[in-house]
Amino acid sequence: MLDLRLVGLALRRTPFSQVMGQLGPWMAGGFAVMVASGLLLFYAIPVRTYLNIFFRIKVGMLALAGLNAWVFQRSVYRHVAAWDLDARPPRRARVAGWVSLGLWACIVVAGRMIAYNWFDVDPELL
Amino acid sequence: MSILSFFEWCESTAIGQAIRSSLWLFPVIESVHLLALALIGGAILLVDLRLLGLGLRRQPAAELARDAQRWLTGGLAVMIVTGLLLFSSEALKCYYNQAFWIKMSALGPAIVFAFTVRRKVAAAEEGTIRPVWRKMTAAVSIGLWLVVAASGRWIGFSG
Repeated sequence: MLDLRLVGLALRRTPFSQVMGQLGPWMAGGFAVMVASGLLLFYAIPVRTYLNIFFRIKVGMLALAGLNAWVFQRSVYRHVAAWDLDARPPRRARVAGWVSLGLWACIVVAGRMIAYNWFDVDPELL
Repeated sequence: MSILSFFEWCESTAIGQAIRSSLWLFPVIESVHLLALALIGGAILLVDLRLLGLGLRRQPAAELARDAQRWLTGGLAVMIVTGLLLFSSEALKCYYNQAFWIKMSALGPAIVFAFTVRRKVAAAEEGTIRPVWRKMTAAVSIGLWLVVAASGRWIGFSG
């Protein structure tokens, strides 16, 4: 919902800083639970998971999503007061929103695909 | 026609057979199912948290509900279509799967509740409905959808 607000598709009458400030803690909490349970799942079958191509894609995408959020916070979000009420935020903010939506969609799909072992890395190659 | 023979028929349709015999189709449809899940999860929680007095507290619940409605309806439509496709590929497995029946038993009430009671409560002007009823509505909504999601995940573990 935060990203949809950022690209100007949802909650257009709500100031962006409010969405960020009031939904942020819920996102952080949900993310913490996902990381903790994800680590447990990984810990159960680390070798098989590490050799799985979708797992590698997922971790890479997670890093990119973190980078995207970090860049956003340090650049266009610094001047949020100037566009807080805009139904359609400035271009750079919208780009960050679309990148985030795309990356998280890939993370969901890649995460689901970890269950399939079509392209596992051959342990012999290590 | 009994339920069992209806399920057998679903599995024998061309669509069901095509999805079953393909390596890629099931995971791809399942991924779309999950993406739509993420969407309606956000659309539902946004309003339910607000009814509980949490989240976007400075916006009226009615406004949030209006904004979230089309995402909820759209996401739900995608979920139902992809869900039916997934079901058609393994209807018999579902028939003997307890988690599937738990999911369906919660899904019906969850959808009905979302488009009747919850919709009315969320759309009501601030102050016209007592906070305790708003909170109850949100709790029932979250509870029902949680059962749907958890038992849905469980279909893949059992049977």
